[in-house]
Amino acid sequence: MVDEDPDERPPASPEETLRLIEAARAAAQRDMQPDPRLTYMPWGVAWLVGFGLLFLRFGPGGRVLVEMPNWVPLVVLYVLLTGAFVLSALSGIRAARHVRGVSSVQGLRYGLSWAAGFAGVVVIASRYSARLPDPEVVLLWSGLSLAVVGLLYIAGAAIWQARDMFVLGLWITLVNIGGFLAGPGWHALATSLAGGGGMLVGGFVEWLRWRRGQC
Amino acid sequence: MSDEPTRGAAPDHELDPVIHAQARLRVMVALSVLREGDRLAFPRLQELLGMTAGNLSIHLRKLEEAGYVEVVKTHQGRTPTTLIGLTRRGRLAFEEYTAAVKALLSLTEEE
Repeated sequence: MVDEDPDERPPASPEETLRLIEAARAAAQRDMQPDPRLTYMPWGVAWLVGFGLLFLRFGPGGRVLVEMPNWVPLVVLYVLLTGAFVLSALSGIRAARHVRGVSSVQGLRYGLSWAAGFAGVVVIASRYSARLPDPEVVLLWSGLSLAVVGLLYIAGAAIWQARDMFVLGLWITLVNIGGFLAGPGWHALATSLAGGGGMLVGGFVEWLRWRRGQC
Repeated sequence: MSDEPTRGAAPDHELDPVIHAQARLRVMVALSVLREGDRLAFPRLQELLGMTAGNLSIHLRKLEEAGYVEVVKTHQGRTPTTLIGLTRRGRLAFEEYTAAVKALLSLTEEE
């Protein structure tokens, strides 16, 4: 008899059926969406610490708030950014593994849009780096980079219909514009506290949703 | 239906029997999470559901026979891959099933 097989047994009641559907849906969502603690938070930490050090070394009006060699904030920032890139890329790849179809094409093209954006940043900023004083060089690189990040978060939100991602992209764009207009030093401070802080808050909100399987 | 002996008990016969079995319901839920136009490889689905390959195959065959699931055998490089996704009909059947369960629930709550 097929009914002897527990797999064939229907759930005991409508309540039980609905509970089973919700639990299975949440588990599948969690499995197929990357953990926001790995996709958002490492970037938040990198910005908070990296741009925080930049602010302390290259403060507003050329002031040095904390003595340290020029290269320290930049190296720390690059190391943290690289770590964030590796963590978020790996968790994204892990979530998307063995999925074929529309979303793998979307994911690939979206990934390439980041590469395209930063290729532009590197080419443009490199040309002017040698001709500008240090604080302006920092502002040029970080201003262009944040413009790309904000824009691509907004574009990503359009692809995946993700409201939190849209808010975060808009926030990063506003922080960037505000900080840029305020000038060297202030931009690093805004990026560190408002940008990095925003990433951490956004990541936390996303994580709460992810944990409940509602991404 | 009118001579239902125990009121309040789920009249199971109203629910799609292909989906209304624990194992296949879980398969349907997992596949419904995929976006339309996406397919999942067999090993990942198996890992997600914690089912044995043989068991999963049996249930997939039943879902495929009902036209709810599409099983596509393809190659990735040299390795053969089996990709599984819901058909449009399967997606609709699952939505109807969920709506029917919710309707039953509101019926039992009213009593």
